[in-house]
Amino acid sequence: MSVEKKYHIKKTDKETLENWFRLMVLGRILDDRAPNYLKQAIGWSYHAPFAGHDGIQLAIGQVFDKEHDHLFPYYRDMLTAISAGLTAEEIILNGISKDTDVAGGGRHMSNHFAKPEWNIHNTSSCTGNHALHATGVGRALKKYKVPGVAISSKGESSVSEGYVYEAINGASNEQLPVIFVFQDNGYGISVPKKDQTANRKVADNFSGFKYLKIFHCNGKDVFDSMNTMAAAKEYVEKHEHPVIVQANCVRIHSHSNSDRHELYRDDYELNYINEYDPLAKYRRLLLRYERFTEEELKSIEEEAKEIVKKAHKAAMSAPDPDPSSIFDHVIAEPYVSEKYPDGLHNHEGEPKKLIEALNETLKAEFRHNPDTYIWGQDIAYKEKGGIFNVTKGMQQEFGKERVFNAPIAEDFIVGTANGMSRFNDKIRIVVEGAEFADYFWPAMEQLLDTSHDFWRTNGKFSPNITIRLASGGYIGGGLYHSQTIEGTLTTLPGIRVVYPTYADDAAGLLRTSIRSRGVTLFLEPKALYNAPKAAAPIPDDFEVPFGKARVRKEGSDVTVITYGNTTPMCMEIADHMTEKDVSTEVIDLRSLNPLDTETILNSVKKTGKVLIVHEDKVFGGFGGELAAQITESAFEYLDGPVVRVGSTFTPVGFNRILEKAILPDVDRIQKALDKIIQY
Amino acid sequence: MKKIAIVYSFNTKKTSKIAEMIKEAFNDDSVEMVNAEEINAEKFNAYDQLILGVPTWFDGELPNYWDELIPDLEELDLKEKKVAIFGLGDQKGYPENFQDGVGIMAEFMESLGAEIVGFTSTEGYAYERSLAERGDQFVGLAIDYENQSSKNKERVTGWVTDLKKAFS
Repeated sequence: MSVEKKYHIKKTDKETLENWFRLMVLGRILDDRAPNYLKQAIGWSYHAPFAGHDGIQLAIGQVFDKEHDHLFPYYRDMLTAISAGLTAEEIILNGISKDTDVAGGGRHMSNHFAKPEWNIHNTSSCTGNHALHATGVGRALKKYKVPGVAISSKGESSVSEGYVYEAINGASNEQLPVIFVFQDNGYGISVPKKDQTANRKVADNFSGFKYLKIFHCNGKDVFDSMNTMAAAKEYVEKHEHPVIVQANCVRIHSHSNSDRHELYRDDYELNYINEYDPLAKYRRLLLRYERFTEEELKSIEEEAKEIVKKAHKAAMSAPDPDPSSIFDHVIAEPYVSEKYPDGLHNHEGEPKKLIEALNETLKAEFRHNPDTYIWGQDIAYKEKGGIFNVTKGMQQEFGKERVFNAPIAEDFIVGTANGMSRFNDKIRIVVEGAEFADYFWPAMEQLLDTSHDFWRTNGKFSPNITIRLASGGYIGGGLYHSQTIEGTLTTLPGIRVVYPTYADDAAGLLRTSIRSRGVTLFLEPKALYNAPKAAAPIPDDFEVPFGKARVRKEGSDVTVITYGNTTPMCMEIADHMTEKDVSTEVIDLRSLNPLDTETILNSVKKTGKVLIVHEDKVFGGFGGELAAQITESAFEYLDGPVVRVGSTFTPVGFNRILEKAILPDVDRIQKALDKIIQY
Repeated sequence: MKKIAIVYSFNTKKTSKIAEMIKEAFNDDSVEMVNAEEINAEKFNAYDQLILGVPTWFDGELPNYWDELIPDLEELDLKEKKVAIFGLGDQKGYPENFQDGVGIMAEFMESLGAEIVGFTSTEGYAYERSLAERGDQFVGLAIDYENQSSKNKERVTGWVTDLKKAFS
């Protein structure tokens, strides 16, 4: 679409033109110099040159207002970052990964420019992944009714990713203030765009979306880019609808310093892309229309060289990151319980079911904190409140602004939670990550990225999210309604994983999760939702700290370590063992990460015999980590092997006969225990 | 006598060849060949009838030499002038933007008051979208060197025959 020509080579004031030229020259000097740092073994081992994207990158940075907007640049956005306000020194500090790098103290890869305190977000290397974060923060801008737009910038090839579709669909459906910029240089590394999608202009793939405006511009031209970005922002602000800006660029150099574009681009192409250098074009225009003299431009160029020289010197003498700091900011601090420091209580009263405990705690926390939100699939439609009714009545009490359905897109659910968290640190989000844990896999990409955020930003941004997952089997659910995925989740630093069994622990852990900073995977053994054996009396204000196991039954002859669906089985067996004069200690871990190693080792030292029981597969299950830690730290106290009971290394079959043959049960646990006590 | 110019970039290969074919077909020594990379508004305005060579670049853009000239031309009054445009495009490789440059230039010239002449039929081409398309016609001559170079001569000759009438 044609846009108003607010900026024009003959009409725009000289000061503005000069500022643009200075930024562009500065950017280009840094872009050209970056490979030298690698050649001299100083750093900047990843550099994706922006040359050829100059027009659109200048424009993105110029329309960005750090007081109100949120910017999500990608790894080629050096000039975007400079135009948005980053200094040459800050660019170099990131490039050579110094401790004072404002993006994250040298933790993230070079050429990933950010400044979280200015809402220039530190984003993943999975280009386009932050489209969901832009949609998420756009949701916050709308809900809190504040001015501002979110700008998500990416290459055109990243649009092939499903999460970009999900982000645009969500922004369109919720009518959010988001500008999605596609910087189209024709290649995804060496893959030409004809191998990505049928439309040469990938933005046109979205032409059927409602409430979405599509702009095209020449990203090589400063004025067309400025006019288009200004019009796009104005449109978003006026209509409160998202837009796409597709900017046609050229990639003058290789994709990055590990790519050799002469292997797939011929001389003709390599020649003409140079002729279409946006900086050279802008310079020609400034001279042709007599806005500047050659001497004036040369003087600005010399000045920029001096700035870069000084920045280089300062950056080279900046401190390197301290290797002892690697454990800083893995995950943000949890809520500290003063009243229940060990997560124990003596409350007596009517036992409540697990599902009631979750529902009542969610409601209590939503009453306690107005900045709480919950969404997920099936979570709130008329009388329905989640596939298992855990959220029943919440939308009626807290309204559609805070309690709402999500599309059937798990990556979207988690990605927008990450994005909305970026609005401010007060917000606490609960999501049902999927209908069942079995369907959470599409969200793993976003979960992984979210697990990095606090560390990657050196503690500047913590996504504060509780991800609830109805987990496990024993319901005749087959392959896709029985999975329990803690074996995978506990391999990720940067997230907590809790797995309560009983109603009181579930209530206490949920309260702690919602009040904490950081990401908590809250796994719910859905087979126990309504089970009387998991019901318990619960103090109204109960809290369970992370990393505190609960000794559900004390004993001295053998230790059984368990969590989730198998805890009641172990309790039942422990009672039987008492009849056989075997004193069994049952530890319900409650929290897998962080893990209460102290309680485990103290028990092992006391009994010398250990059985680990969980519903998940033995092979690759969390029990392997427990067994290894026990063997490593308490070998001298062991009287026999650490034995594990879990499911077979197969999927969970649908037929009840198959399910029984696969999942652990009382008989299997009993046999294992009988064997251990012989040692 | 009306002054006629064929304005195109002398640094091009295919566009230059078509410009030369047009000049030959005109068979008129007074038709001047003018380098678009060196022209300015004053020089442009000195002609009564202009034939512009506008290849389409990238996904539907003007080449730099035209794009950079446009701000200079913007204040001209071309009411008394006739403008014909020939374009080069690749209908197979870039079917969504076939001859967009011709369309962009025609619209710009019309905004200055010029009369566009030399429309041609879209018959014989297979593409998806074109800014040069108006009904069943292009607002100029559409050359496709990549896919239909054998038709260049016939297309140029036919077009020039029409232009001679339009310019008379």
